[in-house]
Amino acid sequence: MSSRRSRATTVSEEEINELISRLQTLLPNAGRRGGNQASATKLLKETCNYIKSLHREVDDLSDRLSDLMATMDQNSPGAEIIRSLLR
Amino acid sequence: MARCQGTVESLCQGLLDLDDDKFGAMCSAFGYLQEWPDLSAMCGGANLGVPAVVAPRAGDGDGDDSSCSGSASGGGFRKRRPDAYLDAKGDGNDMSKRPRGKQQLCGRGEIATPGKGKQERPKAATKKKAEPASTAAAAGQKTDYIHVRARRGQATDSHSLAERVRRERISERMRYLQELVPGCSKVTGKAGMLDEIINYVQSLQKQVEFLSMKIAASNPVVSFDIVEDLFGRQLKQACSPASLPAMALQAGQLEPSCLQNQMSPMQQVHASAAAASTGFGLDMVVNNNLYPSAAASCPVSAAMPVSAAAGPSIEPCLNVNATAAWDIGSQNLFNGFDAQFQSVESDCLLDNLKMEM
Repeated sequence: MSSRRSRATTVSEEEINELISRLQTLLPNAGRRGGNQASATKLLKETCNYIKSLHREVDDLSDRLSDLMATMDQNSPGAEIIRSLLR
Repeated sequence: MARCQGTVESLCQGLLDLDDDKFGAMCSAFGYLQEWPDLSAMCGGANLGVPAVVAPRAGDGDGDDSSCSGSASGGGFRKRRPDAYLDAKGDGNDMSKRPRGKQQLCGRGEIATPGKGKQERPKAATKKKAEPASTAAAAGQKTDYIHVRARRGQATDSHSLAERVRRERISERMRYLQELVPGCSKVTGKAGMLDEIINYVQSLQKQVEFLSMKIAASNPVVSFDIVEDLFGRQLKQACSPASLPAMALQAGQLEPSCLQNQMSPMQQVHASAAAASTGFGLDMVVNNNLYPSAAASCPVSAAMPVSAAAGPSIEPCLNVNATAAWDIGSQNLFNGFDAQFQSVESDCLLDNLKMEM
Protein backbone atom coordinates (compact mmCIF):
# COMPACT_ATOMS: atom_id res chain seq x y z
CA MET A 1 0.00 0.00 0.00
CA SER A 2 2.75 2.35 0.93
CA SER A 3 4.62 1.66 -2.30
CA ARG A 4 1.57 2.38 -4.38
CA ARG A 5 1.00 5.54 -2.48
CA SER A 6 4.55 6.72 -2.89
CA ARG A 7 4.41 6.00 -6.59
CA ALA A 8 1.23 7.98 -6.87
CA THR A 9 2.75 10.91 -5.02
CA THR A 10 5.88 10.89 -7.15
CA VAL A 11 3.79 10.90 -10.30
CA SER A 12 1.80 13.87 -9.18
CA GLU A 13 4.98 15.48 -7.93
CA GLU A 14 6.51 15.18 -11.36
CA GLU A 15 3.35 16.44 -12.90
CA ILE A 16 3.37 19.45 -10.66
CA ASN A 17 7.01 20.11 -11.31
CA GLU A 18 6.36 20.06 -14.99
CA LEU A 19 3.43 22.41 -14.64
CA ILE A 20 5.50 24.76 -12.53
CA SER A 21 8.25 24.92 -15.07
CA ARG A 22 5.69 25.57 -17.78
CA LEU A 23 4.29 28.36 -15.72
CA GLN A 24 7.76 29.70 -15.21
CA THR A 25 8.38 29.93 -18.93
CA LEU A 26 5.22 31.96 -19.29
CA LEU A 27 6.37 34.61 -16.87
CA PRO A 28 8.23 37.56 -18.33
CA ASN A 29 11.43 37.02 -16.39
CA ALA A 30 11.60 33.33 -17.07
CA GLY A 31 14.94 31.67 -16.60
CA ARG A 32 16.19 34.28 -14.22
CA ARG A 33 16.09 31.83 -11.40
CA GLY A 34 17.64 28.43 -11.34
CA GLY A 35 15.77 25.99 -9.17
CA ASN A 36 12.07 25.88 -9.62
CA GLN A 37 11.17 23.74 -6.69
CA ALA A 38 12.83 25.94 -4.13
CA SER A 39 11.11 29.08 -5.31
CA ALA A 40 7.61 27.79 -5.72
CA THR A 41 6.37 30.46 -3.36
CA LYS A 42 8.09 33.17 -5.30
CA LEU A 43 6.86 31.76 -8.56
CA LEU A 44 3.28 31.79 -7.41
CA LYS A 45 3.65 35.30 -6.14
CA GLU A 46 5.06 36.43 -9.43
CA THR A 47 2.26 34.70 -11.21
CA CYS A 48 -0.22 36.66 -9.15
CA ASN A 49 1.49 39.91 -9.99
CA TYR A 50 1.81 39.00 -13.62
CA ILE A 51 -1.83 38.15 -13.96
CA LYS A 52 -2.73 41.44 -12.37
CA SER A 53 -0.45 43.34 -14.70
CA LEU A 54 -1.93 41.53 -17.66
CA HIS A 55 -5.39 42.51 -16.52
CA ARG A 56 -4.31 46.11 -16.31
CA GLU A 57 -2.73 45.94 -19.69
CA VAL A 58 -5.78 44.44 -21.32
CA ASP A 59 -7.91 47.17 -19.81
CA ASP A 60 -5.55 49.88 -20.97
CA LEU A 61 -5.34 48.51 -24.46
CA SER A 62 -9.07 48.16 -24.74
CA ASP A 63 -9.56 51.72 -23.62
CA ARG A 64 -6.99 52.91 -26.06
CA LEU A 65 -8.50 50.99 -28.90
CA SER A 66 -11.95 52.27 -28.23
CA ASP A 67 -10.57 55.80 -28.09
CA LEU A 68 -8.89 55.27 -31.41
CA MET A 69 -12.02 53.92 -32.94
CA ALA A 70 -13.97 56.85 -31.65
CA THR A 71 -11.57 59.44 -32.99
CA MET A 72 -10.98 57.75 -36.30
CA ASP A 73 -12.71 58.71 -39.45
CA GLN A 74 -15.24 56.05 -40.30
CA ASN A 75 -14.21 55.92 -43.92
CA SER A 76 -10.48 56.00 -43.51
CA PRO A 77 -8.43 52.99 -44.57
CA GLY A 78 -7.37 52.47 -40.97
CA ALA A 79 -10.93 52.04 -39.88
CA GLU A 80 -11.40 49.55 -42.66
CA ILE A 81 -8.45 47.60 -41.46
CA ILE A 82 -9.65 47.54 -37.91
CA ARG A 83 -13.08 46.51 -38.95
CA SER A 84 -11.71 43.69 -41.00
CA LEU A 85 -9.61 42.61 -38.04
CA LEU A 86 -12.42 42.74 -35.60
CA ARG A 87 -14.59 40.63 -37.77
CA MET B 1 11.60 24.87 25.94
CA ALA B 2 9.44 27.87 26.27
CA ARG B 3 8.19 27.34 22.79
CA CYS B 4 7.39 23.77 23.52
CA GLN B 5 5.35 24.82 26.44
CA GLY B 6 3.45 27.24 24.33
CA THR B 7 2.98 24.53 21.82
CA VAL B 8 1.49 22.11 24.23
CA GLU B 9 -0.76 24.71 25.64
CA SER B 10 -2.02 25.78 22.25
CA LEU B 11 -2.58 22.19 21.46
CA CYS B 12 -4.65 21.72 24.50
CA GLN B 13 -6.75 24.68 23.58
CA GLY B 14 -7.13 23.32 20.09
CA LEU B 15 -8.27 20.02 21.38
CA LEU B 16 -10.76 21.65 23.60
CA ASP B 17 -12.32 23.44 20.71
CA LEU B 18 -13.47 20.28 19.09
CA ASP B 19 -17.12 19.67 19.46
CA ASP B 20 -18.69 16.39 20.25
CA ASP B 21 -19.73 15.35 16.77
CA LYS B 22 -16.33 15.81 15.29
CA PHE B 23 -14.89 14.14 18.26
CA GLY B 24 -17.00 11.08 17.73
CA ALA B 25 -16.19 10.99 14.03
CA MET B 26 -12.52 11.18 14.77
CA CYS B 27 -12.76 8.44 17.26
CA SER B 28 -14.28 6.12 14.74
CA ALA B 29 -11.93 7.23 12.00
CA PHE B 30 -8.95 6.48 14.12
CA GLY B 31 -10.36 3.41 15.61
CA TYR B 32 -7.26 1.48 14.79
CA LEU B 33 -5.40 3.50 17.32
CA GLN B 34 -7.58 2.26 20.05
CA GLU B 35 -5.25 -0.54 20.69
CA TRP B 36 -3.06 1.97 22.46
CA PRO B 37 -5.33 3.10 25.16
CA ASP B 38 -2.42 3.82 27.40
CA LEU B 39 -1.15 6.47 25.00
CA SER B 40 -4.23 8.42 25.57
CA ALA B 41 -3.41 8.54 29.20
CA MET B 42 -0.27 10.30 28.27
CA CYS B 43 -2.13 12.64 26.06
CA GLY B 44 -4.44 13.33 28.87
CA GLY B 45 -1.48 14.20 30.96
CA ALA B 46 -0.20 16.51 28.30
CA ASN B 47 -3.49 18.26 28.24
CA LEU B 48 -3.53 18.90 31.87
CA GLY B 49 -1.29 21.86 31.80
CA VAL B 50 2.04 20.55 32.99
CA PRO B 51 4.07 22.09 30.25
CA ALA B 52 7.37 21.90 32.01
CA VAL B 53 7.25 18.16 32.28
CA VAL B 54 5.32 17.33 29.20
CA ALA B 55 6.79 19.70 26.69
CA PRO B 56 10.08 17.94 26.02
CA ARG B 57 8.27 14.74 25.54
CA ALA B 58 5.89 16.30 23.13
CA GLY B 59 8.83 17.51 21.10
CA ASP B 60 10.34 14.08 20.88
CA GLY B 61 7.11 12.43 20.08
CA ASP B 62 6.53 14.89 17.29
CA GLY B 63 9.69 13.85 15.62
CA ASP B 64 8.43 10.35 15.45
CA ASP B 65 5.10 11.41 14.24
CA SER B 66 6.23 13.33 11.26
CA SER B 67 8.18 10.50 9.82
CA CYS B 68 5.90 7.62 10.59
CA SER B 69 2.40 6.54 9.93
CA GLY B 70 -0.16 6.43 12.67
CA SER B 71 0.70 3.10 14.14
CA ALA B 72 4.41 3.75 13.98
CA SER B 73 4.07 6.94 15.90
CA GLY B 74 1.97 5.02 18.32
CA GLY B 75 5.02 2.94 18.91
CA GLY B 76 6.98 6.09 19.51
CA PHE B 77 4.61 7.14 22.17
CA ARG B 78 4.59 3.79 23.69
CA LYS B 79 8.18 4.04 24.71
CA ARG B 80 7.32 6.83 27.01
CA ARG B 81 4.27 5.26 28.41
CA PRO B 82 5.43 4.90 31.98
CA ASP B 83 6.20 8.59 32.23
CA ALA B 84 2.87 9.35 30.78
CA TYR B 85 1.15 7.42 33.43
CA LEU B 86 3.07 9.14 36.09
CA ASP B 87 2.40 12.56 34.73
CA ALA B 88 -1.21 11.88 34.23
CA LYS B 89 -1.64 10.66 37.71
CA GLY B 90 0.41 13.36 39.26
CA ASP B 91 -1.49 16.10 37.55
CA GLY B 92 -4.91 14.73 37.96
CA ASN B 93 -5.79 17.42 40.45
CA ASP B 94 -4.38 20.24 38.37
CA MET B 95 -6.93 19.74 35.69
CA SER B 96 -9.73 21.17 37.65
CA LYS B 97 -7.94 24.50 37.82
CA ARG B 98 -8.37 25.03 34.12
CA PRO B 99 -11.69 25.85 32.57
CA ARG B 100 -11.97 23.04 30.14
CA GLY B 101 -15.45 21.67 30.02
CA LYS B 102 -16.07 18.21 28.75
CA GLN B 103 -12.60 17.33 27.67
CA GLN B 104 -11.37 17.94 31.08
CA LEU B 105 -13.59 15.29 32.44
CA CYS B 106 -12.39 12.90 29.86
CA GLY B 107 -8.86 13.65 30.68
CA ARG B 108 -9.40 12.92 34.28
CA GLY B 109 -11.25 9.78 33.60
CA GLU B 110 -8.82 8.30 31.23
CA ILE B 111 -6.02 8.04 33.64
CA ALA B 112 -7.48 4.86 34.86
CA THR B 113 -9.92 3.96 32.11
CA PRO B 114 -8.39 3.15 28.75
CA GLY B 115 -11.79 3.02 27.16
CA LYS B 116 -12.24 6.73 27.42
CA GLY B 117 -8.62 7.48 26.99
CA LYS B 118 -8.51 6.32 23.44
CA GLN B 119 -10.46 9.34 22.47
CA GLU B 120 -7.65 11.65 23.27
CA ARG B 121 -5.14 9.87 21.19
CA PRO B 122 -7.18 9.95 18.01
CA LYS B 123 -7.64 13.62 18.43
CA ALA B 124 -3.97 14.15 18.66
CA ALA B 125 -3.56 12.29 15.43
CA THR B 126 -6.21 14.27 13.64
CA LYS B 127 -4.61 17.52 14.55
CA LYS B 128 -2.11 16.97 11.83
CA LYS B 129 -4.87 16.52 9.35
CA ALA B 130 -6.72 19.60 10.38
CA GLU B 131 -3.65 21.79 10.31
CA PRO B 132 -3.42 22.75 6.61
CA ALA B 133 -6.88 24.22 6.70
CA SER B 134 -6.26 26.38 9.70
CA THR B 135 -4.81 29.78 9.08
CA ALA B 136 -4.30 30.74 12.65
CA ALA B 137 -0.72 29.63 12.66
CA ALA B 138 -0.06 31.15 9.26
CA ALA B 139 -0.98 34.61 10.46
CA GLY B 140 2.24 35.19 12.31
CA GLN B 141 4.46 33.69 9.67
CA LYS B 142 4.82 36.55 7.31
CA THR B 143 6.96 38.71 9.47
CA ASP B 144 10.72 38.62 9.59
CA TYR B 145 10.49 36.94 12.87
CA ILE B 146 8.78 33.75 11.96
CA HIS B 147 6.60 32.56 14.70
CA VAL B 148 5.63 28.99 14.18
CA ARG B 149 3.55 26.86 16.37
CA ALA B 150 3.66 23.17 16.01
CA ARG B 151 0.63 21.28 17.05
CA ARG B 152 0.65 17.96 18.68
CA GLY B 153 1.87 15.36 16.33
CA GLN B 154 3.95 17.79 14.33
CA ALA B 155 7.66 17.87 14.15
CA THR B 156 9.36 20.73 15.91
CA ASP B 157 12.83 20.55 14.47
CA SER B 158 13.77 23.55 12.40
CA HIS B 159 13.66 21.78 9.05
CA SER B 160 10.19 20.51 9.53
CA LEU B 161 9.03 23.88 10.76
CA ALA B 162 10.54 25.62 7.78
CA GLU B 163 8.99 23.13 5.45
CA ARG B 164 5.65 23.65 7.06
CA VAL B 165 5.94 27.39 6.70
CA ARG B 166 6.84 26.97 3.08
CA ARG B 167 3.88 24.76 2.42
CA GLU B 168 1.59 27.17 4.17
CA ARG B 169 2.85 29.99 2.02
CA ILE B 170 2.39 27.98 -1.12
CA SER B 171 -1.14 27.04 -0.29
CA GLU B 172 -1.88 30.61 0.64
CA ARG B 173 -0.66 31.77 -2.76
CA MET B 174 -2.67 29.07 -4.39
CA ARG B 175 -5.76 30.30 -2.66
CA TYR B 176 -5.01 33.78 -3.82
CA LEU B 177 -4.50 32.64 -7.37
CA GLN B 178 -7.71 30.76 -7.12
CA GLU B 179 -9.49 34.02 -6.55
CA LEU B 180 -7.62 35.66 -9.37
CA VAL B 181 -8.20 33.03 -12.01
CA PRO B 182 -11.82 32.59 -13.00
CA GLY B 183 -13.10 29.06 -12.91
CA CYS B 184 -10.15 27.94 -10.89
CA SER B 185 -12.14 27.34 -7.76
CA LYS B 186 -13.97 24.48 -9.40
CA VAL B 187 -10.79 22.62 -10.08
CA THR B 188 -9.50 20.48 -7.30
CA GLY B 189 -5.92 19.52 -6.79
CA LYS B 190 -2.78 21.50 -7.27
CA ALA B 191 -2.06 20.07 -10.68
CA GLY B 192 -5.44 21.01 -12.04
CA MET B 193 -5.14 24.46 -10.60
CA LEU B 194 -1.72 25.03 -12.07
CA ASP B 195 -3.00 23.86 -15.40
CA GLU B 196 -5.84 26.29 -15.18
CA ILE B 197 -3.53 29.11 -14.20
CA ILE B 198 -1.22 28.39 -17.10
CA ASN B 199 -4.10 28.42 -19.54
CA TYR B 200 -5.37 31.65 -18.11
CA VAL B 201 -2.02 33.37 -18.30
CA GLN B 202 -1.64 32.23 -21.88
CA SER B 203 -5.03 33.50 -22.84
CA LEU B 204 -4.31 36.84 -21.22
CA GLN B 205 -1.05 37.10 -23.08
CA LYS B 206 -2.83 36.37 -26.33
CA GLN B 207 -5.41 38.96 -25.52
CA VAL B 208 -2.80 41.61 -24.88
CA GLU B 209 -1.05 40.64 -28.05
CA PHE B 210 -4.20 40.81 -30.06
CA LEU B 211 -5.19 44.18 -28.71
CA SER B 212 -1.81 45.69 -29.35
CA MET B 213 -1.93 44.29 -32.84
CA LYS B 214 -5.24 45.89 -33.47
CA ILE B 215 -3.95 49.19 -32.24
CA ALA B 216 -0.91 48.84 -34.39
CA ALA B 217 -3.11 48.11 -37.33
CA SER B 218 -5.23 51.11 -36.64
CA ASN B 219 -2.35 53.40 -37.37
CA PRO B 220 -3.62 54.97 -40.55
CA VAL B 221 -0.26 55.52 -42.19
CA VAL B 222 1.02 52.02 -41.96
CA SER B 223 0.25 50.05 -45.05
CA PHE B 224 -1.31 46.71 -44.80
CA ASP B 225 1.71 44.60 -45.61
CA ILE B 226 3.64 46.18 -42.80
CA VAL B 227 0.78 45.47 -40.53
CA GLU B 228 1.01 41.86 -41.55
CA ASP B 229 4.68 41.96 -40.88
CA LEU B 230 4.04 43.35 -37.45
CA PHE B 231 1.63 40.57 -36.82
CA GLY B 232 4.32 38.07 -37.53
CA ARG B 233 6.66 39.76 -35.13
CA GLN B 234 4.10 40.14 -32.47
CA LEU B 235 3.27 36.49 -32.57
CA LYS B 236 6.89 35.61 -32.25
CA GLN B 237 7.32 37.95 -29.38
CA ALA B 238 4.48 36.30 -27.57
CA CYS B 239 5.63 37.00 -24.07
CA SER B 240 8.59 39.23 -24.60
CA PRO B 241 9.29 42.30 -22.50
CA ALA B 242 6.48 44.08 -24.24
CA SER B 243 4.02 42.43 -21.92
CA LEU B 244 4.88 44.29 -18.77
CA PRO B 245 3.91 47.88 -18.38
CA ALA B 246 6.81 48.36 -16.06
CA MET B 247 9.12 47.57 -18.91
CA ALA B 248 7.21 49.64 -21.34
CA LEU B 249 9.95 52.06 -22.12
CA GLN B 250 12.33 49.32 -22.92
CA ALA B 251 9.76 47.71 -25.10
CA GLY B 252 9.33 50.89 -26.96
CA GLN B 253 13.00 51.08 -27.55
CA LEU B 254 13.39 47.49 -28.47
CA GLU B 255 10.86 47.16 -31.14
CA PRO B 256 12.06 49.62 -33.68
CA SER B 257 15.46 48.08 -33.80
CA CYS B 258 14.06 44.60 -34.04
CA LEU B 259 11.89 45.62 -36.87
CA GLN B 260 14.66 47.39 -38.55
CA ASN B 261 16.55 44.19 -38.91
CA GLN B 262 13.66 42.65 -40.70
CA MET B 263 12.58 45.28 -43.08
CA SER B 264 13.90 46.83 -46.18
CA PRO B 265 15.41 50.29 -45.90
CA MET B 266 12.46 51.70 -47.72
CA GLN B 267 10.15 50.50 -45.01
CA GLN B 268 12.34 51.41 -42.15
CA VAL B 269 10.82 54.71 -41.42
CA HIS B 270 7.35 53.35 -41.52
CA ALA B 271 8.40 50.45 -39.47
CA SER B 272 9.82 52.55 -36.75
CA ALA B 273 6.75 54.64 -36.65
CA ALA B 274 4.57 51.60 -36.59
CA ALA B 275 6.60 50.02 -33.88
CA ALA B 276 6.43 53.13 -31.89
CA SER B 277 2.73 53.13 -32.07
CA THR B 278 2.66 49.46 -31.28
CA GLY B 279 4.56 50.17 -28.21
CA PHE B 280 2.51 53.06 -27.15
CA GLY B 281 -0.28 50.94 -25.79
CA LEU B 282 2.14 49.51 -23.35
CA ASP B 283 3.64 52.86 -22.64
CA MET B 284 0.56 54.75 -21.87
CA VAL B 285 1.29 55.41 -18.28
CA VAL B 286 4.71 56.60 -19.12
CA ASN B 287 3.49 58.66 -21.99
CA ASN B 288 0.82 60.41 -20.11
CA ASN B 289 3.07 61.25 -17.29
CA LEU B 290 6.22 62.03 -19.10
CA TYR B 291 5.10 63.83 -22.12
CA PRO B 292 4.88 67.32 -20.70
CA SER B 293 8.14 67.10 -18.88
CA ALA B 294 9.83 65.54 -21.86
CA ALA B 295 8.62 68.31 -24.04
CA ALA B 296 9.88 70.82 -21.60
CA SER B 297 13.24 69.31 -20.94
CA CYS B 298 14.17 68.38 -24.45
CA PRO B 299 14.57 71.27 -26.77
CA VAL B 300 13.02 69.96 -29.95
CA SER B 301 13.28 72.56 -32.60
CA ALA B 302 12.47 72.62 -36.22
CA ALA B 303 16.17 72.58 -36.78
CA MET B 304 16.40 69.18 -35.30
CA PRO B 305 16.48 66.95 -38.28
CA VAL B 306 15.01 63.54 -37.90
CA SER B 307 14.20 61.09 -40.64
CA ALA B 308 11.63 62.06 -43.14
CA ALA B 309 8.57 60.42 -41.68
CA ALA B 310 9.54 60.70 -38.09
CA GLY B 311 10.07 64.41 -38.36
CA PRO B 312 6.49 65.27 -38.98
CA SER B 313 5.44 62.90 -36.30
CA ILE B 314 7.64 64.34 -33.66
CA GLU B 315 6.68 67.87 -34.31
CA PRO B 316 3.04 66.94 -34.01
CA CYS B 317 3.75 66.13 -30.46
CA LEU B 318 3.56 69.80 -30.41
CA ASN B 319 0.22 69.50 -32.14
CA VAL B 320 0.93 69.64 -35.81
CA ASN B 321 -0.12 66.20 -36.86
CA ALA B 322 -3.74 65.40 -37.36
CA THR B 323 -4.27 61.78 -36.47
CA ALA B 324 -4.38 60.53 -32.98
CA ALA B 325 -2.41 57.45 -33.75
CA TRP B 326 0.48 59.38 -35.13
CA ASP B 327 0.40 61.68 -32.27
CA ILE B 328 0.66 58.89 -29.83
CA GLY B 329 3.29 57.16 -31.81
CA SER B 330 5.42 60.21 -31.86
CA GLN B 331 4.95 60.76 -28.20
CA ASN B 332 6.36 57.40 -27.71
CA LEU B 333 9.32 58.11 -29.86
CA PHE B 334 9.74 61.28 -28.05
CA ASN B 335 9.76 59.73 -24.63
CA GLY B 336 11.62 56.62 -25.52
CA PHE B 337 14.50 58.41 -27.08
CA ASP B 338 14.44 61.50 -25.08
CA ALA B 339 18.02 61.08 -24.07
CA GLN B 340 19.46 60.82 -27.52
CA PHE B 341 17.53 63.58 -29.04
CA GLN B 342 20.19 66.16 -28.54
CA SER B 343 22.53 64.23 -30.75
CA VAL B 344 20.12 63.09 -33.40
CA GLU B 345 21.41 63.77 -36.84
CA SER B 346 19.52 63.84 -40.03
CA ASP B 347 18.25 60.45 -41.01
CA CYS B 348 20.02 58.90 -38.05
CA LEU B 349 17.17 58.08 -35.78
CA LEU B 350 17.19 54.41 -36.47
CA ASP B 351 20.95 54.11 -36.38
CA ASN B 352 20.87 55.84 -33.11
CA LEU B 353 18.40 53.40 -31.80
CA LYS B 354 20.56 50.61 -32.86
CA MET B 355 23.53 52.07 -31.09
CA GLU B 356 21.46 52.52 -28.05
CA MET B 357 20.62 48.91 -28.00
